[in-house]
Order: sequence, then C-alpha cells, then structure tokens
Amino acid sequence: MHPEPEVATDDATPPAADEATALLTRTASGDQRAFSDLYDLIAPRMLGLVRHVLKDHAQSEEVVQEVLLEVWQTASHFDPNRGKAVTWMLTMAHRRAIDRVRSAQASRDRDTKIGIRDLGRDVDTVSETVEISIEHKRVEKAMARLSDLQRQAVELAYYGGYTQSEVAEMLNIPLGTVKTRLRDGLIRLRTELGVAS
Amino acid sequence: MSSLSNEQLETAAAYALGALDADEAAAFALVLALSPELQREVESLREATGMLGAATAPVAPSPGLKQSVMAQLAATPQLPREDAGAQIAAHAAPVDPAQLAPAHTLAGAEPATETPAPIPMSGLAADKARMRWFARPATIVAAAAAAVVLFFAGAFAADLVRPSSVNQQVLAQVVAAPDATVASSEVAGGATASLVSSESLGLSVMVFDGLATLSDDEAYALWYITGDQISPAGLFTVDADGQTVQVLEGEFVAGTIVGVTVEPASGSPQPTSDPIVAIVTESA
Repeated sequence: MHPEPEVATDDATPPAADEATALLTRTASGDQRAFSDLYDLIAPRMLGLVRHVLKDHAQSEEVVQEVLLEVWQTASHFDPNRGKAVTWMLTMAHRRAIDRVRSAQASRDRDTKIGIRDLGRDVDTVSETVEISIEHKRVEKAMARLSDLQRQAVELAYYGGYTQSEVAEMLNIPLGTVKTRLRDGLIRLRTELGVAS
Repeated sequence: MSSLSNEQLETAAAYALGALDADEAAAFALVLALSPELQREVESLREATGMLGAATAPVAPSPGLKQSVMAQLAATPQLPREDAGAQIAAHAAPVDPAQLAPAHTLAGAEPATETPAPIPMSGLAADKARMRWFARPATIVAAAAAAVVLFFAGAFAADLVRPSSVNQQVLAQVVAAPDATVASSEVAGGATASLVSSESLGLSVMVFDGLATLSDDEAYALWYITGDQISPAGLFTVDADGQTVQVLEGEFVAGTIVGVTVEPASGSPQPTSDPIVAIVTESA
C-alpha cells in the first residue's frame, strides 16, 4: 500500500509536469540523455493509454515506439505556453492509438458490446506510482460528476476510440445528442479538474 | 464572451477527444488553423483529455523497447525550432523544358478549331509549344498542413471554414495530408492559380482567384501533363466572384505538370488553345 501523499489538492501540479517540460525542452536541442529520462517518465504512461485503447500489447508497443520517435523529432514544436508537456505527448499517443484501432477496424469490425463492457475495467496495473494514483483519483472523482450518459459517451470516444458517429450508432441515439453529451461532459470534466478554460 | 458557434464548440470537444473521423478532423483542422480563439478552446479541452490519458494505469514496456528507440535517435532528424508558418520556404520552381520532352501531343495553336488529332511536333514548333506552357514561373511551397492553411488564410478563409461543396471537402482532405504541397502561379489576366497536391492521396486541387467568366460555349479545361502524355483532368466554369476550387480528375503523380486552357464547353481530347497557366510540381 502506498502511503497517503501529504499534498493532494486539486490545484497541485504533479511534479512530473515540470520535469517533463524541462526534459522535453532539452530533448529539442538534441540531448539524448534528456530523452532517455523522458522515456522513463512517459513511456509507461503512453503504453498504459495506448494499450487501454488497442488492447493488443505488441501493437501497442509498436505505436508507442512511433510516438516516442515523433516526440524526438518534433520536440522543438512543443510550446509550453499552450499546454503541458505530458498532455502534448499523451495527445500524440492517443491520436496514433485511435488511428491504429480504426485502421484495424477496417478488416475486423470491433465488437461494440465488448467496447462498452471493457470500459473502466482495465486492470493491467504494473507499477502505479503515488503521483499517478493521485491523478487517477482526481480523474475518477471528476468523472463521477458527469451524468451517466455523458460519462458513457466520453469513455466510448476517448478510451474506446470510437468516432462520434459510431457512438451514435452504438447507442442508437441521434448524432446531435452525442455531440452535446461529449461537449457537456468534457466541459464538466475540465471544470472539475480545475484546468484553465 | 465567446464568438464561437455552438457547432464549433461541439466539434472542438469531439476533436479534443479524438472522436472525429478522418474527414471531419481534416475539415476541422482548417477551421482551427484560422481561429486563435478556437485554438485556445481546444488547448484547454486537451488539458482535460490529457488528464483522461494520464489516468490510465501505466504499463511497463518490454526492456527492448527503450534500446530500440534510443538506437534510432541518431538516424532520426529533429525538426528545427521555427514554427510551421516560418517553415514556408518558397522558392521558384526551376522550369525544365526537358520535362515536356517530345511535346508531340500538344495540339495546334488555333484556338477554335474542331477537335484536333494529336499533331506530332518537332523542332521550333515543339520549342514554342514548350515555351507557351511556361510563360509564368510557378512558386512551389512544400509545406505542412498548417502552412498550407496559412497560405490560403487570406483569400479563402470563409470557404475553408465551411467546406460546402465536394470540391472544398476534397481540398480540406488534401490540405491535411502530411505531404501536402502548394504551387502557385499567376494566370493571364491577373488571376492567381494555386495547386494543392498530395502524392500519397494521388489527388490535386486547383484553387483559382479572380478567374474571368467565360461565354456559355466555353469552359476551362484542366490537363495533367506527364512526359509527352497530356491527359484531360476535367472541365469547369467560374461564377461571378471568380473564385473556384476544382478537384482534378485522374491520379496525381508528383512531377506532373498541371495546365489550364480554354476549350469549347463540350471539352477537347487535347488542348486546342494556349494555356492560361501551367504549374510544374516537384518530383517526389
């Protein structure tokens, strides 16, 4: 059991955020040692996210490898004034993961029922650090403030990798309703997580 | 308060969540590139989706992954620090007449003859034919999607923001391609023509501004010119505003020359008049 962290206010910036920014900045100038440290910091989180979407471990590692090289290549384009380094990197990883899951879908239609059933039950915890468990709890708490319908739509889209049209089809509701749920859900989430709007 | 429409706000949320399909995302990327306010909205929504991403349980990569990634760094060039906009390095395309080589399929110069059979040309006639296709050098801009958008930001904002026609939707798609390239040239009569192309998609789109309207029995004709082959790539007309987005028919291959002539409204199998513009694209 992890000891309870002393500071867990909602406004606390996880220490990794600053560290990630510093490492990413050094990476941008070709510093391979900084990139090595950045790898240690971000690769397990990337893999956690990508595998949550893709399920398949080997494919997920391939995707993570691509994303990390993309991070290396494009590090100079990260602008700390426009968001956190961790967000920037995880957004890239998420994008590649959903690209992959959608191209795989072309040959083999995903089972939408499994998609729904799996949500929120990814139990492949390997090495959960205190800091990540804080983030996890914050997000869990924030997600609990969404209506069930908003949460379902947001989870299907973000973790399931489904497009808004697919979500509408799966839930058999109008596309406009899905759009509204995604929008309202994400706004609520943003407010609850205390990220600036 | 926000000047963004409800629709834009909804699309921004779906975009931040990755819930747009490829076409929707490409179209939105154009809108986004033109609206700093929308960019800020997406950035702040992304901080929330980033938290969703960070909340998943980390998974230890296999030990070989790090070695494999580190081993590739040396061979993986890093982008320079400039932003995408500054990367637009416009340069005049060298016009290489040899690319048109034996231009024997270029038709005779009479503008209003009936459908001509391909006339073999040689010597001076061929030189003249080559010359007339390249009176005006094109400026080629090899660019990332964002830069392509900036390229059009002035003249075309409204159309790109709400792609209404199929042509504009295809344009949005081509602009979003990673290998999108823009080549621009003046057209006789003061108009401008820009060719947006993507070799990976095999598509190209001509964007005209200020093109003159034609009489009812005429149409503009697009041509793909590869080596000595001239292939028709579609006919179009323009409205009073002279702005036109036209997707070329047939497959685009990098290095192809795209030309425009005025032809009878029914079209011609080969060009029957001098081109009003020709744009040389860079070989892949």
